[in-house]
Amino acid sequence: MKVLVPIKRVVDYNVKVRVKADNTGVDLANVKMAMNPFCEIAVEEAVRLKEKGVVTEIVAVSIGPKTAQEQLRTAMALGADRSILVETDEDVQPLGIAKALKAIVDEEKPELVILGKQAIDGDNNQTGQMLAALTGMPQGTFASEVNVADGKVKVTREIDGGLQTVELTLPAVVTTDLRLNEPRYASLPNIMKAKKKPLDTKTAADLGVDLTPRVTTVSVEAPAERQAGIIVGSVDELVEKLKNEAKVI
Amino acid sequence: MTAFAHAAMEQLTDLLGKRLLTDQESAERYGVDWTKVWAPSPCAVALPETIDEVQQIVEIANEHGLHLVPSGGRTGLSAGAVAANNELVVAFDRMNKVLDFNEFDRAVTVQPGVVTQQLQEFAEEKGLFYPVDFASAGSSQIGGNIGTNAGGIKVIRYGMTRDWITGLKVVTGKGELLELNKGLIKNATGYDFRHLFIGSEGTLGFVVEATVKLTRQPKDLTCLVLGAPGFREVMKILHAFQQDIDLTAFEFFSDKAMAHVLAHGVPKPFDTECPFYCLLEFEQLSEQVGEQAMAIFEKCVEEGWVLDGVMSQSLQQLDQLWQLRERISESIAPHTPYKNDISVSIAKVPDFVEDVDTVVQDAYPDFEIVWFGHIGDGNMHLNILKPADLAKEDFFAKCNNVSKWVFEIVEKYNGSISAEHGVGMTKKPYLEYSRSPEEIACMKAVKQVFDPNNVMNPGKLFDV
Ligand SMILES: Cc1cc2nc3c(=O)[nH]c(=O)nc-3n(C[C@H](O)[C@H](O)[C@H](O)COP(=O)(O)OP(=O)(O)OC[C@H]3O[C@@H](n4cnc5c(N)ncnc54)[C@H](O)[C@@H]3O)c2cc1C
Ligand SMILES: Cc1cc2nc3c(=O)[nH]c(=O)nc-3n(C[C@H](O)[C@H](O)[C@H](O)COP(=O)(O)OP(=O)(O)OC[C@H]3O[C@@H](n4cnc5c(N)ncnc54)[C@H](O)[C@@H]3O)c2cc1C
Repeated sequence: MKVLVPIKRVVDYNVKVRVKADNTGVDLANVKMAMNPFCEIAVEEAVRLKEKGVVTEIVAVSIGPKTAQEQLRTAMALGADRSILVETDEDVQPLGIAKALKAIVDEEKPELVILGKQAIDGDNNQTGQMLAALTGMPQGTFASEVNVADGKVKVTREIDGGLQTVELTLPAVVTTDLRLNEPRYASLPNIMKAKKKPLDTKTAADLGVDLTPRVTTVSVEAPAERQAGIIVGSVDELVEKLKNEAKVI
Repeated sequence: MTAFAHAAMEQLTDLLGKRLLTDQESAERYGVDWTKVWAPSPCAVALPETIDEVQQIVEIANEHGLHLVPSGGRTGLSAGAVAANNELVVAFDRMNKVLDFNEFDRAVTVQPGVVTQQLQEFAEEKGLFYPVDFASAGSSQIGGNIGTNAGGIKVIRYGMTRDWITGLKVVTGKGELLELNKGLIKNATGYDFRHLFIGSEGTLGFVVEATVKLTRQPKDLTCLVLGAPGFREVMKILHAFQQDIDLTAFEFFSDKAMAHVLAHGVPKPFDTECPFYCLLEFEQLSEQVGEQAMAIFEKCVEEGWVLDGVMSQSLQQLDQLWQLRERISESIAPHTPYKNDISVSIAKVPDFVEDVDTVVQDAYPDFEIVWFGHIGDGNMHLNILKPADLAKEDFFAKCNNVSKWVFEIVEKYNGSISAEHGVGMTKKPYLEYSRSPEEIACMKAVKQVFDPNNVMNPGKLFDV
């Protein structure tokens, strides 16, 4: 069975982003980019399914700039067999991505699409759900456990107040949560092998989809800075400040 | 308390008021560093706020024969900042301000109590980088770093604290204020006392201000963790990479170190089990550098020097892979380890390690030896774990023998009994394994010049 793993190139998790002076967005010049952490988990899950013999082929796909090739190479170093880049310089939004993914799904006919529950840049948490709606596939979101057997996938979901298990008929869409697995590192021999794996490049026009953003960002602001703490001299002073300054007691 | 001491205390109280701490809790807190071998017993703790106050403290000390212990963040590992003999601790917690920054000099002037991490963060705010870094940077102070000439994990590329200090203000043991090198890069006017004070462990005077140069931030740091079949291969890997790439770090650790850190919960880099591992880091300034690294890796595999390896794909993974090295210390802490920090020139490292292994294992076959360290600088951290069934006292008694043997081997290889942690009290008895009698006599003569009455940190480094 074939798995499609969409991945996104985002600002590295460890980078402290700065808001641009004109408040139009965050400054991405010279900022380290990396694979979205939830996508790493999606790739890892697909690779584990392949190692178990459930999956026979893993196709990684990314919709983004030419440089997203780096993340696709990483995905292939981790175990994806080939990849597709839908190249665009648009700041694509979930709906555009979901439409492009639907076109890829129509071409590739995977039985399972595993993707991150959200990307850490936009934090939208929409792409998987939109893709399920567009393709008519069932969805299992926020997965913390995935089991595939007999044409079905059982997904344990992390929901408020506990866990829920749903059973979906394949083909299906699964979005990954943090505790699904711990992704491996890319081994150097595999990084070298990944260089020789196929990477196809397509455009939105090839797929017949429109990636133009529909939502306009009005303004981006940095969170308010936390005030530095102070050391009070005595309990009395603390009580006094809580009463008169913080007005909480 | 003698009449003398009484008078001294009175003068200090007049000078410092509430900033002279005489309570037991403060004495215990300020009188000891990370070593915790000697019980703290200072007469009091002084918290000066100005250079003038420091000078007056030194004058009072000279007048009354009071002994002074400079104290920074007390993360020192050689008992340099320990006050166990009724000394006055002089702590710089209240002198912790950044005084000046100049973007053209790319230099920052700080008071000695500025915490290392605070300086790193200040540099980052300015779009620059202060590269001296180590696990205790969140607590250690610039004054203490200068006192020990601290090194750390980036020495292979950026050098020691010494390499970043362009100016110092010091108050000598005589109470004089000297301005050393004035933040200049070029200054050909004779003896450079700045370098005498750096690494002097508070035995010549107090550092009361420092000018530190900064550099550009590293770009796109990437690391590899590699497994090697033997120690000699680790050295070949180092050599192969250094031919073409400016490494920002090259650390090594043994399979035993790896086992402890994995058991501690750090994720495994790869499945292949190897006797030795190394972590190397570089700036991926261009795609070319990455490809070069891959080519060198390929060559290392072909030669049989590398068995397996991984490469970080993000800064997050970089951080995680570094934990394999950085969390070794805490992972072996429950085994009450004996620790030693030593160095030899890089080429001699494999023979040195083999000699130490042989000597220790011959005498004490039940000792587990855990090696790790900044191998790119020839700096090894030797750790020996206490066997569970051996009493602590017996273990450390045996380790005293180990120390002597290790230092004999250090001497044989012309190395140093202390690579970056200083001498203080813990290594004072062994100084002659690294320094000749003539050299030690010169050191004592130098101390006489700056501190004729021996008020500055007596009993540390050597006895006068
Ligand atoms: C977990 C851990 C990891 C460490 N890793 C490293 C490492 O990788 N590399 C490394 O080099 N060290 C390391 N150290 C050792 C220690 O952090 C350094 O030696 C550090 O420089 C000490 O700074 P401090 O401010 O804590 O100094 P302290 O311990 O307070 O003092 C150190 C010495 O400097 C003198 N001193 C302090 N302030 C002044 C001053 N203003 N004027 C004159 N003399 C002064 C003291 O008298 C003493 O002799 C580590 C320590 C720990 C606990
Ligand atoms: C055309 C020209 C260009 C120059 N450009 C530069 C420049 O760009 N930068 C720069 O720094 N200098 C420059 N210099 C100055 C000079 O070349 C340097 O100072 C150089 O280091 C002197 O080396 P030397 O062997 O000629 O030493 P000498 O002139 O022979 O001696 C210099 C000093 O070192 C002492 N000395 C010599 N040998 C020893 C020894 N073995 N042990 C102890 N002390 C010793 C001497 O007693 C003397 O005090 C230049 C000179 C000229 C003529």
